[in-house]
Amino acid sequence: MNILAIKSLPLILIVALFTGEHCQAGSVKNKTEKVKPTSGVVNEVDEYADAGKISDPLEPVNRATFWMNHQVYRYILKPVSRTYDAVVPSKVRTGVFNAFDNIEFPIRFVNNSLQLNFKRAGQEAEKFAVNTIGGVGGFVRLSDRIPSLVDVPRADTGQTFAKWGMGHGFYLILPILGPRSLRDTFGLAGDYALDPITWVSIVFYRYSWTLALSCPDTTRSLHDKLSSYESLTDNTVDRYLAVRSAYVQNRKQLKGRW
Amino acid sequence: MKLSALLSTIATLAMIHGAHCSPPDEAEKKLKSWVDEVVAVADRASDTKTLRKNITPILERSINFEFMTRRAVGPGWRQLTPDQQKEVIRLFSTLITRTYTAKFTPGEHPMVLFKTPTSPAPGRVEVPTSIVYKGSRYEVVYRQEESAAWRITDVVIEGVSMVANYRTQFDSELKQGGAASLISSLNHSVSTQP
Repeated sequence: MNILAIKSLPLILIVALFTGEHCQAGSVKNKTEKVKPTSGVVNEVDEYADAGKISDPLEPVNRATFWMNHQVYRYILKPVSRTYDAVVPSKVRTGVFNAFDNIEFPIRFVNNSLQLNFKRAGQEAEKFAVNTIGGVGGFVRLSDRIPSLVDVPRADTGQTFAKWGMGHGFYLILPILGPRSLRDTFGLAGDYALDPITWVSIVFYRYSWTLALSCPDTTRSLHDKLSSYESLTDNTVDRYLAVRSAYVQNRKQLKGRW
Repeated sequence: MKLSALLSTIATLAMIHGAHCSPPDEAEKKLKSWVDEVVAVADRASDTKTLRKNITPILERSINFEFMTRRAVGPGWRQLTPDQQKEVIRLFSTLITRTYTAKFTPGEHPMVLFKTPTSPAPGRVEVPTSIVYKGSRYEVVYRQEESAAWRITDVVIEGVSMVANYRTQFDSELKQGGAASLISSLNHSVSTQP
């Protein structure tokens, strides 16, 4: 019985993902119907009711993980990030950020291609060439001087799944990694597989220096992530709900920009 | 002959005038002047406290806090007594002002690029902008509504609407403990954070 349940789990999850998408489409339709009778004045139209909605059957567990992550943020990540900011000059920090961002080019290139967006894939390739060759291994983001390459939206595997018609499924708080929908959790695995830093760590898995390799990568993105976490969760009534709503809205916009 | 020439001139002028004062343009013009003011304050300020103090009056002029609060509370707004409504508006305004001013670091200059505004409904305008701040680029949409004048009713940063974010939180408070619970948790948030 147990084995059967485990075997059928992937199937159940996939069904959940696709039925999730159906529900979403339904709610969007309702929303446009509701918005119709709008006239400038404040009215009873409740256009924000569905904005940050996602199914969250594991809320009690998620809240517990969220609380744990918050403690990690307060007592470990924030001091680490502060020290990094204090010790490493801002120009170097930007350089390190750019270099790692540049190395992670395959994630964006492959996903653009999988989404059949070959124009964006081409832009990413061009960006990679310009920054690697002209920007000293990606340290300087030279591509920012080329108008067509300034604002290329980032592609990731979760987005590719969304583009293929998969819904969010349900909401999850992963330990340390934070909020993800079920779909984007699978997407995260794809991103790891496409990340050259992972490749190096696997090839040289015997050597402890590979750990050091992923360290600056984590710290460099930490600063940005922490400051957005702070500005999102300060001044709220319920931190957990604020993050959940923001996550769903942000992912929706990324899909929309495609 | 003369009369028809005069009439056509008037008609043309009226059209030009109309085009100039079309709602999106007017709302955008207002927004630009507010943004300029905020940027000037951010450039001048040397510490966070002065920054906050000087931005607040600009926000009070440019944001329609009542509309914003109503939308953030949703249909539950009608359950509140007029006094409770006033209290919620007051507390929520404080949180919005803090959230907004916390995004600025003194001495860092934001570069704001205005894109073509749209009007999704009569009396409403959305102005999309692209903001480069501290080396990162953000897509920010300002939602404006016309009541007595054009005012900001929502700011959407990277797809995340300020109002929608609070809407989820307020909803759960109202469901759990009604207006009293909403007001007490707002009070708690206002008093615990800097």
